[in-house]
Amino acid sequence: MTLNDQQVERYSRHILLQDVGLSGQEKILNAKVLIVGTGGLGAPAALYLAAAGVGTLGIIDGDKVDMSNLQRQVIHFTPDLDKAKVQSAKEKIALINPDVKVNAIEDLFLAHNAMDILKDYDFVIDGTDNFPAKFLINDACVMAKKPFSHGGVLRFDGQTMTHVPGEACYRCIFDDLPPSNAVPSCSQAGILGAIAGMLGTIQAAEALKFIIGKGDLLTNRLQMFDALKMKFREVKFKKRATCKVCGENPVITELKDYEQPVCDIRQK
Amino acid sequence: MTAPFRFYQSAPTLIAEQDQFEKDVKEFTAGNIHPVKFKGIRVAHGVYEQRQEHTYMIRIRCAAGGITPQQLKKVAELGDKYGGGEVHFTTRQEVQVHEVLIQDVLKVIRGLNEVGLSSRGGGGNTIRNILTSPLSGVEKGEAFDVDPYAIALTTRMIHEADSWNLPRKFKISLSNSAEDTGYTQVTCLGFVAKINDKGEQGFEVYTAGGMGAKPMVGRQLYDFIPENKVYQVTKAMKIMFDKNGNRRSKYSNRIKFLWKKLDRDEFVRLFEEEYNKIKDDSSLDLVLPDLKNEAKADISISPETVTGEAFELWKKRYVEAQKQDGLVAIKLPLRLGDIYKEDADVLCDVLAEFGENVIRCDRAQNMRLRNIPEAYIGNIYNAIQKMKMHLSDIPAFIGNMINCTGASTCKLGICLPRGLSDAIKDRLVESKLNLDNIPEFKLNMSGCPNTCGMHHVADLGFFGKIGRKEGEMYPAYNVLAGATVGAGITKYAVRQGDIASHHVPDFVHDFLENYIEEREDYDNYHAYLEDGGIDLIKSLCEKYKQVPLLEEDPGFYKDHGARRRMRLDDMGTAECSAGMFDMINVDKRFIDSFSKALEEGNEEENLFKILFHSSRMLLVTRGLDSKTETQAFELFGKHFVQTALVDERYGDVVTLGKLGVKAELPKHKDLILELAGDIQALYKKMDDSLRFNVAPKEASTAEAASEVKKKDYRGVACPMNFVKTKIELEPMGSGQKLEILLDDGEPINNVPNSVKLEGHKVLEKEQNKEGYWRVLIEKK
Repeated sequence: MTLNDQQVERYSRHILLQDVGLSGQEKILNAKVLIVGTGGLGAPAALYLAAAGVGTLGIIDGDKVDMSNLQRQVIHFTPDLDKAKVQSAKEKIALINPDVKVNAIEDLFLAHNAMDILKDYDFVIDGTDNFPAKFLINDACVMAKKPFSHGGVLRFDGQTMTHVPGEACYRCIFDDLPPSNAVPSCSQAGILGAIAGMLGTIQAAEALKFIIGKGDLLTNRLQMFDALKMKFREVKFKKRATCKVCGENPVITELKDYEQPVCDIRQK
Repeated sequence: MTAPFRFYQSAPTLIAEQDQFEKDVKEFTAGNIHPVKFKGIRVAHGVYEQRQEHTYMIRIRCAAGGITPQQLKKVAELGDKYGGGEVHFTTRQEVQVHEVLIQDVLKVIRGLNEVGLSSRGGGGNTIRNILTSPLSGVEKGEAFDVDPYAIALTTRMIHEADSWNLPRKFKISLSNSAEDTGYTQVTCLGFVAKINDKGEQGFEVYTAGGMGAKPMVGRQLYDFIPENKVYQVTKAMKIMFDKNGNRRSKYSNRIKFLWKKLDRDEFVRLFEEEYNKIKDDSSLDLVLPDLKNEAKADISISPETVTGEAFELWKKRYVEAQKQDGLVAIKLPLRLGDIYKEDADVLCDVLAEFGENVIRCDRAQNMRLRNIPEAYIGNIYNAIQKMKMHLSDIPAFIGNMINCTGASTCKLGICLPRGLSDAIKDRLVESKLNLDNIPEFKLNMSGCPNTCGMHHVADLGFFGKIGRKEGEMYPAYNVLAGATVGAGITKYAVRQGDIASHHVPDFVHDFLENYIEEREDYDNYHAYLEDGGIDLIKSLCEKYKQVPLLEEDPGFYKDHGARRRMRLDDMGTAECSAGMFDMINVDKRFIDSFSKALEEGNEEENLFKILFHSSRMLLVTRGLDSKTETQAFELFGKHFVQTALVDERYGDVVTLGKLGVKAELPKHKDLILELAGDIQALYKKMDDSLRFNVAPKEASTAEAASEVKKKDYRGVACPMNFVKTKIELEPMGSGQKLEILLDDGEPINNVPNSVKLEGHKVLEKEQNKEGYWRVLIEKK
């Protein structure tokens, strides 16, 4: 038995669950999750995963906390303005749960460092705000055979799916990057803060389910919701033989950084 | 007779360590030591396996890049006799002998003893060769000579046992001026000589620099420390690194990663905690050697006079006046950093006439000769002309190109920069570009993202990558440009694009042609880059984008100088820091394979092996090494069972193992398998600092399976009483029984039902006279 009394108490509501129990909690404590981006999605995901006792949380983000972030990126507080986001997040995580080891990487997730960063983790959460990063995360995870949760939010809408090796990937449904400016970014279109929270916590739940090995993951289906109407919709899709990265004849065999203007926030 | 001059003094334990190493080599050759364990042993002796199996490279320490003519001659002799023939000058100012077979490794190492050289610490997680500016001590305008510090520090460090088992390699360098020709900002710990306002000698200190796949420019630790604190700073950093470095992942445990992990304030705080303990202890000050840069008093040969255009051109290219009047320093460019025995003999015999402090290795893999009286320049020229292989007759640009050995010998290599270097040389020499205009241009190449070829600090740099066309691999390079080197201003080169290996010579030619033509218009190379140079690189990448199909041009898919098409199946993992985790994994795999074999029968033998590998697996994490099976059991009993890192109930089977009573083991099959499971679980729990984080044992762990376990949860509120019940049940075997005491009311109304919902049986439930309840549960 490895849990001390405080831990038993801290995680008691997990241990009570038949699908988690002590062994599930031990898995969580031994798990390593990488969160790419500590913004709207990464912030709630990080908070919940830290509280859940995920043993190692990797957080990577090259940005500093900006005033416009505070409306939804709930891991950052007003006194953190101008602080590196990963530093701010690391401090909060330590306050929530000292059991959690945080690898804070103040950098962008790019082709040259992706594989190296990924390799130590069991699960990846895509909390990024731009398509080049989303496709890069997909390609890197497919190549490294790592499961990951995709998430995207805009205005009042959200969408998420989970990839595990061997099942459909993000490119199976979205073949390639949309043309520049075809899709507005958060800074252009706006976002209701709570939407990011809804989606980030779905992603955290997927990560935890994967870790304990219970339930049905969002694989081969895309979950979408419109929070203005508060309607959820699921679209089923399959692994595509002609997929550029996970298909039978992949044309993407090495990572590259796609060029597209990223969210304006970052360029400020 | 006085002892011959040496750049460092080997530790007195060296011979004993070599004796042990010799035994290990024998055991390894006999198949009694696993290759992975042997790797951990040999790299610490500077012995690396090359790409060809069973062929080794031996790296020899040269403090401050210094080697005496007599020493170099000996290395060349050993290389000729036991190796591939050449002595290789590396980018870390040391020399290597290549292609040594296992049976000759000790002969080379013992041979080095004769001249006071050592390969100890050439690799592994140790204090590596300590570097300095190649002209330190003789350069005009330097702050002061830093070589004596590097030499004294080397001797001190290699005498300290804790230098040999650090979390990762530890690189140190010193520069003689703010020009930073010692590259202090790209190394773990760097010292830049400076004179402060009061006229005192001292050092600016940098730390946490490093190149490699995740490069980081070093950060200033101190603006000024007095010159006598070099040892104290190094020692404190070593202790701090030893205590806090990440030993678990060899990919992210250099000092630079520690800085990133801790942040500046915490890093400095932890460092100063150690530094303040020893800072004022002057008994620790280095005792500097009296290293003289002067003409030898009794030169027995007579000066040779040489005239002619070729000689004058050579002088212009390669000879410069030292700060000592009447003496010169001479650069001797080597082709790919190699020198062969015949050439080394010719050269060293002449050099020996001028004393012992006459050679330095530089980071461009060239030799630097020093302390040659002006009158004797002709003698050196004539000696060089007698050499079969050198680059002294062509522009210095060529000899300054840096390349790592690449995939020809290195297990990590992707491309072959040696072949590329030759191809570039041929292309440029044929081109008639006036390379004498850019003698100091840094064109650096590495075969892979590791930075042995120093591409991060290049003016124009390349590092190997795999290109793919229609699924076929071809050799290619990433292109970088625009590094700055200088104390406090170092910046790494930035990646600009990529290009097929076979296009690189043309690419380099086209780029240099433009640069040589336009450079006059710019203040410096950076200005040129900013104002079109970078654009030119990008457009050249575009121009040379075409890659022929494999059918059209198979040669394109074979690297420069390669005998066959590019392949990666013979690539290995890094040689440098094998060790602990690899060894643990070996035992882990053995446990798995013997567990499988166990299903087939032969219980006695297989259980013994499982018990043995389980016992040995984590010994290494306590710094314990077992030479025999008996010793492994003994150490395990002492350090794991008696310390309660594993349950005491394993004590008896471990004793059986120690006594070798294999026949008894099948009776304890379950227990042995449980031990194997516990050990692996313990390993999982281990943190980066090798702590196991095990909660203190409860008293009654040794209960037999048949006994009923009892727990008193009176006074424990819902739902914690159920949580604790679950925790007790979880590790129990099916059918085992647990008796719990619960309070009346909510607890008795809820807990038994919850237990049942989980699938367990509630066998009995009875209320005691005092009102509390006794519940007997059978695990599902």
